[in-house]
Order: sequence, then C-alpha cells, then structure tokens
Amino acid sequence: MGFSKELKKGLWDEIPVFRVVLGLCPTIAVTTSLMNGIGMGVAATFVLICSNLMVAALRNVIPDKVRIPSFIVIAATFTTVTDLVMNGFAHEVHKNLGIFIPLIVVNCIILGRAEAFAARHSPWLALADAIGMGLGFTIALAVIGSIREILGNGTLTLWTPLAWTVKGYEPVLLLILAPGGFITLGLILGLMNKIEERRAAKAGRACSPPADFDCRHCVICKWGVSAPSDSPPA
Amino acid sequence: MKEILKLLAALTIISSGAGLLLAYTNKVTAGPIAAARQKETTEALKAVLPDFDNDPADCTCSFEEGGRTWAFHVARKAGRFSGAAFQTSSSKGYGGEISLMVGLSATGTVNSVRVLTQHETPGLGTKVAEEPFKSQFNGKPIEGTVWAVKKDNGHFDAVTGATISSRAVLEAVRNGLDVYRRHAAEIARTGE
Repeated sequence: MGFSKELKKGLWDEIPVFRVVLGLCPTIAVTTSLMNGIGMGVAATFVLICSNLMVAALRNVIPDKVRIPSFIVIAATFTTVTDLVMNGFAHEVHKNLGIFIPLIVVNCIILGRAEAFAARHSPWLALADAIGMGLGFTIALAVIGSIREILGNGTLTLWTPLAWTVKGYEPVLLLILAPGGFITLGLILGLMNKIEERRAAKAGRACSPPADFDCRHCVICKWGVSAPSDSPPA
Repeated sequence: MKEILKLLAALTIISSGAGLLLAYTNKVTAGPIAAARQKETTEALKAVLPDFDNDPADCTCSFEEGGRTWAFHVARKAGRFSGAAFQTSSSKGYGGEISLMVGLSATGTVNSVRVLTQHETPGLGTKVAEEPFKSQFNGKPIEGTVWAVKKDNGHFDAVTGATISSRAVLEAVRNGLDVYRRHAAEIARTGE
C-alpha cells in the first residue's frame, strides 16, 4: 500500500464522481462552467486534505461511538476556514461559488473518505488518498464543466484572458440547466463503462460493471412486462 | 457512566480545537474580507458615476422609506453636483435577491447600472449583468422612460428566456428612482 498507489486510485479506478458516484449535488450545481468546476474542486480538495489528515491523526483518540459527529465537526471547521480565506483572498471566485462553499460540509466525499479510509490508515496514506480523490473530483468537475459550458453557452473560459467562443453556434440552454448536468454525467458514466469493458476484454478478464449500475439491479425495462416478484402489488 | 464521560470529553476537546482554529481564521481574514467588500463598493461607484473628484463612498445622505434605508452616494466635480448613485435590490429574481448599483448624472439621466449580487440561472438570468441588457440603461432620462420590460409595455428588451430576472432588475431600478424623485433637491445639495 504505497503512497502513489493510494494517490492514483482516485484518478480512475475510484474517481469520486464517475466511479463512486458520490458528491453529485455540488457536481450538478456548480459545473455550469469550467472555472466554477475547478474552483469548487480546489476548495473541496483543500477541505478533504485537511480533514483526512486530521481524522487520520486522531483516529486512535476519537471513540468509535462519536466518530461521525467528530468527522463532521472537523469537516465543518475546515470548510468554514476555506470559506473565510476564499472570501478574503479570492473574492471573485467566492462570489461565483456562493452557497456551494458552505455545502462542502455535506459533500459525501469528505465524510466518505474520512470513514472509509482516513479512520483506518496513517496520516501519510490519508494524505495520498485525499490528494488523489481531490484531484479526481476536480478533474471530473472540470470535464463536466467544460462540456456544459461549450455546448450550453458556446464559450470556454479558463481565466478572463483565456476565453474561447465557439463561432456560429447557437447554445443549447438545456445543458446549462440542471437536466443538462444529469444528461452529461450519465453519458460520461456510460462512456467510462464502455472504456472499462474494452480494457477488460483486451486484458482477457471478465468485466463486472460497478455494482448498482448494471442490469442485475435495474427493473426499468421489466416494467409492464412482469412485475418483480418481491415488489408490493400496485 | 464512565464511557459517557469519555465520549463527552472527546467531543468537547475536538469542538474546542475547532472553535480555536475558527476564531483565529476569523481574526486573520476579517481585514481582507472587509477590504474586498470596500473595494467592491468603490469600484461599483467608479463604474456607474460620471466624472467626480470627491469621495462618493463618504459623501452620502440617506432616507428611510418603504421599510428600508436608501443611501445615496453623491458625486461632485469642482464643487458642483455631477451625479448620484444608490444601491437597490429586488427579491423577485429567479434565484432570490438581485442587488444593483445605479448611477445617475446631474442632467437627469441614468448614467449606468451595475449588478452587485445575483443568484440567477447561469447562462440565462446572469445575462442581466452583461451586455447588451445592461447598456440599455445608459443615458435613459429618468422622466419619460417607462422602467419596465416591453412585455409590460415598458421601454426595455428583456433578456431572452429570463423575463423574470429582467423584471426584477427593472423593479429595483424603478423603486430607487421613485425615492430619488422625492428627494432630488436634497441629494443635489449634499456635500456642498
């Protein structure tokens, strides 16, 4: 279990939004442009690193029964610190992200990593996990943000001097609105599963889709044909 | 009993640590945050007011009307009244409150309008803060202009697909101008 292994898993195998499908609320809400996606990603990464380090350092001190409140207090503290620091030193980005900074507290990724990883590993590995997961989250937000900004607004802005406008293109407003977020996310998830399947086929191993995301768990196409036996009568 | 005390102690210690860290951050960032807000106001004033050589951020007069305080920033050049700016807001935006800085010139026209805060739909309602919607206000006479969107028989083109946001901006401007009309003489004398 090396540092780089923990770091890399957040970039593809367990990339937060696409693979683990956690933290969807901020994902859908802020990814209307590339810059917002990156800003949110960096802020969440900072909180994640601080909270993972703190949780890992205190993992033998915090009694098991009150671990969840403790994790929340730690995450909330670092979120408020981020909020204040951004407000003071990056006022413009802070204004754009508005309400979503305080909401990092309830981002499942923070609590998820604290509970699933940091509480059982050394601060060193927890740091690797946080950097990887944070980077993965940022990349995911940036990808969705770029797609939605290009298709929904006809522009791509990294910083004010670095702005491209797609010429002669009528933006599809739906992409900027919430449904566009879900559509983009769904298509990317499908694409990633396809790539994973290809890779598995090449390596000659069986490809098992992430649990909960394949036909075994879905009943949509069975509706109207025959109701699943364990479902209550309509 | 002993376990409960242990849990209590652990939570208390963690919370106290958190409290200390927060107090320290607050102390460090309070200055920069206030400075950033101040800078925002000064920049907005500079953007919406005609030429001035006094400090409009300091030269103000305010009125209590309609349950809120209206502060007018008065701009003067070479001692003469050159314009006034006021902050106004409407809660009828699509995403809640929209607040604006409106600048007037001494000739009885709106000089320029700037959106300070808004929570409108990105790419749709947010366009009220951009051209070409924003520049429709520039140079419009205070009297004789109907401060409403064309759908409501006014003189302004609404942002396509964002009529609610456009209406909110115009409502805010309209309310502010009403207050200005009643106190125009007094505002022009401020800072003499």
